[in-house]
Parts: sequence; structure tokens; C-alpha cells
Amino acid sequence: MEIGLIGQPNAGKSALFTKLTGIGAISSNYPGTTVEFQEGSVVRKGVRLNFHDLPGTYSLTGITDDELVATRLLAEKQLDVVVAVADATRLEQSLVLIFQLIELGFKVVVALNQMDVAKRRCSLDVESLRGILGLPVVPTVAITGEGVETLVEVLVEGNYQPSGFAVRYDRHIETLLEDLCVHPDCRTGKFPKRGALLKLLEGNRFFSEQFSEQFKARVQEAMVEFKADHGEDIDVHINRDRYGEAGRVANGVISNRIPPRRISDRISDATLRPHTGIPILIAVLGAIFLVIVFVGGWLEGALLALYNAIVGDFFLELAEWIGGPLGEAIAMGIDLSLQAILAIVIPYIMLFYLMLGLLEDSGYLPRVVVLLDGVMHRIGLHGRAVIPMIVGMGCNVPAILSTRVLESKRERLILAVIIVIAVPCSAQTAVIIGTVGTFAGAIWALGIYAILIAILLLLGRILHRALKFEPTSLAMEIPELTLPRPKNVLWKTWVRTKDFFVVAFPILLAGSIILEILMAFGVLQAFVEPLAPFTEGFLGLPPITIIALIFGILRKEMGLQLLVVLFGTADLSTVMTPEQLFVFALIMATYMPCLSALAVLSREFGWKDALKVTLASVTIAFMLGGLMNALFQIF
Amino acid sequence: MPSEIVEEYLETIYELTEDGGPAKTNDIAAKMGVSPASVTEMVQRLASEGYLSYEKYRGVTLTEAGLRVGKKIKRKHRLLERFLVDILGAKKENFHDEACRLEHSLSDESEKRICLLTNNPKFCPDGNPIPECEDVDCSHCTMPMAVPLRELEEGEAGEITHLKCDNASYIRRLVSMGFVPGRKVTLEERVPLGGPLLVRIEESRVALAREYADLVMVEREHPGGKRRRARNRARGA
Repeated sequence: MEIGLIGQPNAGKSALFTKLTGIGAISSNYPGTTVEFQEGSVVRKGVRLNFHDLPGTYSLTGITDDELVATRLLAEKQLDVVVAVADATRLEQSLVLIFQLIELGFKVVVALNQMDVAKRRCSLDVESLRGILGLPVVPTVAITGEGVETLVEVLVEGNYQPSGFAVRYDRHIETLLEDLCVHPDCRTGKFPKRGALLKLLEGNRFFSEQFSEQFKARVQEAMVEFKADHGEDIDVHINRDRYGEAGRVANGVISNRIPPRRISDRISDATLRPHTGIPILIAVLGAIFLVIVFVGGWLEGALLALYNAIVGDFFLELAEWIGGPLGEAIAMGIDLSLQAILAIVIPYIMLFYLMLGLLEDSGYLPRVVVLLDGVMHRIGLHGRAVIPMIVGMGCNVPAILSTRVLESKRERLILAVIIVIAVPCSAQTAVIIGTVGTFAGAIWALGIYAILIAILLLLGRILHRALKFEPTSLAMEIPELTLPRPKNVLWKTWVRTKDFFVVAFPILLAGSIILEILMAFGVLQAFVEPLAPFTEGFLGLPPITIIALIFGILRKEMGLQLLVVLFGTADLSTVMTPEQLFVFALIMATYMPCLSALAVLSREFGWKDALKVTLASVTIAFMLGGLMNALFQIF
Repeated sequence: MPSEIVEEYLETIYELTEDGGPAKTNDIAAKMGVSPASVTEMVQRLASEGYLSYEKYRGVTLTEAGLRVGKKIKRKHRLLERFLVDILGAKKENFHDEACRLEHSLSDESEKRICLLTNNPKFCPDGNPIPECEDVDCSHCTMPMAVPLRELEEGEAGEITHLKCDNASYIRRLVSMGFVPGRKVTLEERVPLGGPLLVRIEESRVALAREYADLVMVEREHPGGKRRRARNRARGA
């Protein structure tokens, strides 16, 4: 049995999907988490249920990409039934979507979600809603799983009927629909004529592909006529009637509304109002930074000590067992890759995702988006771009993937460039803190961050001008703050870290071994001398550091460890001046994407754009390094 | 509906009888720039139509019907003068003639709107009193005036009247998020630095960029007080 799950953004579709299938869909307390739709299948009571989780949409107007994807999937999958995930706290909005599903002839089962929150605010008469809609309505609380069993039972029973409910539109619209229905060119396939025509009138791109040009010209004529008569576009009028009806239905079933004035709402408001919200934002971001630096640093030390205690001489023995410089290279490669996972992935990336999960599930992220939207627009980006940028502070790989929250490709590319060049990932942070922060002082480290922010602003503006592109404006619903559920947060953290293991670790492992082999056979060392004029002359760095920079292509944090190995001392302040450390860290922070990020970039944007981004970042990194060196020489 | 020329006569007679005494035909002729003979002819016609009473050698007084028309037109005239000067910034020498032409075609509805827009003025720009409106109580004269959503004060509520059709894809996005005529919206907050507006629409809270908020036209829930402040601000700018 094929079942579609559809609902407005943030109604809890993904959470319900997870509870229904046991397959984890990432759910967050902000709209637009489901960018790609997911499928999951489960056998209940002897019936195979295939669930399709569609992107969240407010309506089926088919204007935004999400809506278009949703309509297309609804039309193309042979769905036996559609579960409309309604948000009991925003019933009107949900009803509008349900009305449209009914109009299109779908068999609908309503999952009335977030009933726990709704119950605190009003009394909702589920029985009478069932009666009005003529549909099965199952109250659920997706995050706890309440009502999910009942929903499955209703689905398995399978004796659902199409609803007899219909929105009565304005007399002119109804007459127009009747006229068009009998037109010989009005062929709507498996959809009821009335529903398909309404979609055509609303300008749904998918449905307008289904009609002949001639017929569309006739409809266009009628739409122009309607506008002349009513002074309002027909699609606005259709929705006005729908919302009117939704309002009546909602008022009929909801009573005793309690104005939501609880402490959590106060906090919710405080995080939004600019004069309290901006200080809170700074405090939150600062806290995250401090936790990552201090807790992460402590974890790293502890894990590495544990690792060395467990592994002992294993890799030395392995090297001997394979034998020769090759053996040493392979053993070293594996050893260092595992160390990198313990040093970077677990302490920094996992910790980062844990906090990101808390931010997401509490519903705080949309507030960041709102507060920073104005600033983001100045650098040619949408407020939503804040989320991938924050993700990018963990790792560029998921950050580049999450640029999908933006609607246009240009915007996504601008954002990807900014993330790659100006947002330090946790490995880059490790280098900045580990070199400059430790051996030159915190003020130098702050200097690097200041430069990165300047680059970010400048780069945004330049790209914005060069690509001649206006960012789309923000129109986003803001959910109330809620208490995150530990299970969901931990689970998300695990899924994302797992992605990192699967996507990044193989590349990392192979790359490390190859680089070790190149080192073992002296290939890399051969670069040191010829490149010395560049390294020493232009950048003012010891010639041998070029090896660390080349390694940075593969893994940024390796740059730091290699410096230690190359110089044979852990106290870098004895071999490099603070200025040199500064230049080195700055280059590493702006330098080209690591191999894993490069792979994702070319997958998302094509190899040409990926190559351009790489060249741009390498150029910027070396120009900056050279510039800083020149400045240090002068002053 | 009296003709334009009838309205013009009644308006002139209203003005001349404002001080209480009857109007002399010679004064009417002088004021309107026509011959006394044509005034006499017109006055007789208007008297027969019940707009005024005419006593030879004494002069003309308006009947109740005539007073209503004359007063209405004078009111429209002087309101239009205020509108032309205050809102449109018309030059001193032009506004009188223009108001004279416009007054006859101005609907009662537009008269109310101008009265609201110019904040119920008592005097015309020359200092002559503007006749009172027939409604003694101004408070129920809350003629809806749609303003863009972004012009609401923080915390102010209104009902959506229509969406400006400048940008079809924006409109559809707005409609799909529930910004539909007839629904109630509250502007909660403006985020500084060019940030969005925080808007509550029924149970949902939405962040809306200014480009969107400009397209949503709303009717204020409590017109009056707040508008004055907004207008003063606009005038100061």
C-alpha cells in the first residue's frame, strides 16, 4: 500500500515518518528540513505499508520548488491514501491544505498532530471535525508516538472513502468552473475536473502542463475578465474563500482558546525581539564557541591518550610486518587517519552537531535567521543562509549539502564559496587554535577571525555584484521554542556523524596513505627546494612548511600535526615566529576545500564550478598570506 | 442630483449667507462673475425648485434643501483645498480654481476619506470655516483606509484588504502562507538593520521581508490616533 505523508512545514511530518517506519528522517524545529523526500516501508498486521515523506508545503499552489515537488510526487506516485499531517495548533492553515487534497480526489486520513500542545491552549472537538470533513481524523503526538498505533490501524483497515466535503467558492468562480468542466478540451486524467481546474487557475506549474495551449488561452481570458470584474486575481480570491471556510471550520471545532501567555512564551518572545534577541544571540554563539574549544580540547586530549594506550605498538608492528618504507607509509596513513577521527570528528564535529541539534530542536535557529536576515541581505544572501554557515563551522561537507535550504542555484553557489573560503570548519579551528592560539596568543587568533569575517562580508558583496543577482526575500514561519528531546538530538548527532564517517573517512584514509607513500619515497620533499622562493620569499615561512600546506589539501588539521613532525618539536614557538604562525594559520583557514568537501562541491554544482571555487580559494589564501607577510615586513 | 451650475449657485449663496443675513442678487452676480439678469432668472428657477426663498429688495435665503446642497459643496470645496495644499502641496494661486472644478465630481465617500486623511480640519487654507459634516459624531466615521502592512505601528493589528499585484510569484507565496484578504494580522516587531518584520497571522508567526510586507495592504483595526503620528512623521520627512 502506497501512502503519502504531506503537511505544512514544521507540522511534525518527519517525526511521524520516523515513528511510523522506524527509519530516521532528520526532523528539526524549523521549516524546510525535508529537502529530499524519503521513502520507508514497514509491514504492519500483514500489510506492507510504503510511506513517502513529502517536503512540507503550505499549499499545493505549485509555486515554490517544494510545492512543485510535492504536487509532482502526489500526481506521479500511485498513492492509495494520503496522510495529511495537520498541526492542531495551527488548524486553519492545515485545513487549507486538506481542502486542496480533497479537491484533487485523494483519499485522505488526517493525523491531527501536536495535540499535546493544542490541548494546553484550547479544546478541540475531534469528533465534530471528523463529521465536518467526512474523513478519519486521528489525534497524534508524533514526538512521543502517541496515537501512531491508531493511525496505523486506520491505514491498515483501508476502508476510507473520498470525502464529500467541498469548499463553495465565489459564485463567479463556481460558474466559471462549471463552464470550463464541459469544455471538450478539459481533460484532467485521473484528477477530478474541478480540482485540476482550480489548480490551473491558481497557476500550478505541474497542472498547467496537463492542458492544451488552446484551453489555457481560454482560461487565461476568463482570468483576465475575473480580475477586471473583481479587482483581485482569481488565485487570491480562491484562497480567500478557502481560508474563509477554514476559519469557519476551525472556529466550529475549537473553543475556550487560552491566550498563550506562559513563561516559555515569554522566553520565546525575548529571543525574537531585537533588543533582547541580539544579546541572546551573541551569548548563544559565544557559548557554543567556548564549549567547542574547551570541552572539545579536553575530549581530544583524553581520547588520544586512550587511543595510544590501546593501540600501543600495533602500527609499528604492522609496518614491520608489511616491511620497507611502503609498510611504514601504510601503517602511518591508517594510524594518522584514525587519530584524526579521534582528534577531530569525535571531539569537535560530534560536539558541534550535538549543539546544532539542540539549537534546531529548540526552534532557536529560525530566530537566528530572522535577526540576521538584514545583515545577510547586504552580502547578497538570504537569512536562511545562516544555517549552512553555522553547520559549516562543524564541517564543510554537510554545510554544502545544507545549502539546499536556499531556493536558487546562484544563491547556493555564493553561499558555498563563502563557506569554503571564509567559514572555518572545526579542523581549521583546530589549526587556528592549535598554532596561533597556543603559541602566539589569543589576540592573534581573534585577528584571524576578524580577517575571516571581513573576507566573508567582502566576498559576499563582490559575488553579489558579479553575479548580478538579488537574493530572494525572506518569508518564513517561526515556530515556538520547545524543549529539545534528548533522544532526537542524540539520534541526529549520530546520523550526521555517521555521514561523515561514510563520506569523508574513506577519502581521508586513501588520501593519507597516498600522501604517506609520497613522503616515504621523498616525492613531497622534492617540492621543498624548488618552492622555497615562494614559501620563504613570498609568504615568509620556513621552506619545509610547504609540505604541511600541501597536506592541507587533504586534511586541514594534518597541517598542524605535520608541522610538529617536520620540525621534530611540539613547541612551535621555538621554530616559528608569531608572525609566521599567523600567516600559516590564515592560509590554512582560507585555503582550498579538503578532498571530501571538493567531492561534495562537484557533486552539487558540477566539477567546473568546484574547480573555480578551488582556484579562487587557493589564490585568496596565498594572496592574503603574502599580503600579511609584506605588512609584517614593513611594520 | 442638482446640476453643476445649481450646485455652484447654492454654494455661492451659502457662502454669502454664512453670516446670517440674506444674499443680495448683485453680490451673487459679482461673486460668480455673471450678469445680475441671469442671476435673477436662476434664482427664480431655484426658488420654484424649492432650494431657496426670494424676496424682492430683501434678498435670497436658502431653504433647508438648498442649505444642505450648498453646505455640502462648500464643505467639499474647502476640504479639497486642504487636501490640495496639505497633502499634494499645491501652489497657493491654483488650488482654489482646481477645488472649484473638483468639488462637483467628488463622491461623498471620497469626501470622508479626505476628511480623515487631512485629520478632520476646521478651516480651509484661507482661514474660512469648513462646514461641519452631517454626522455629528466623528468616531464612527472610520472609513477603511488600506495601508501597506509595514506602515503599521509595532503591536498594531489590522485586517488584510487586498494584495498589491506587483509581483505574481511573491503574491502566491504570500497567499500560500496564509496572507489572504479578510484575515487578521498583527505587526509585532521590526528587526533593525534592514531585517524582516515579525508578523502574527492568526495562530502563526511569520518573519516577512519588507518586499513582501509592502504588498500586503491592511485596514487598521483602530484607525485615528496612530495614523496621526504616522502622518506627522511623513510630513516631517
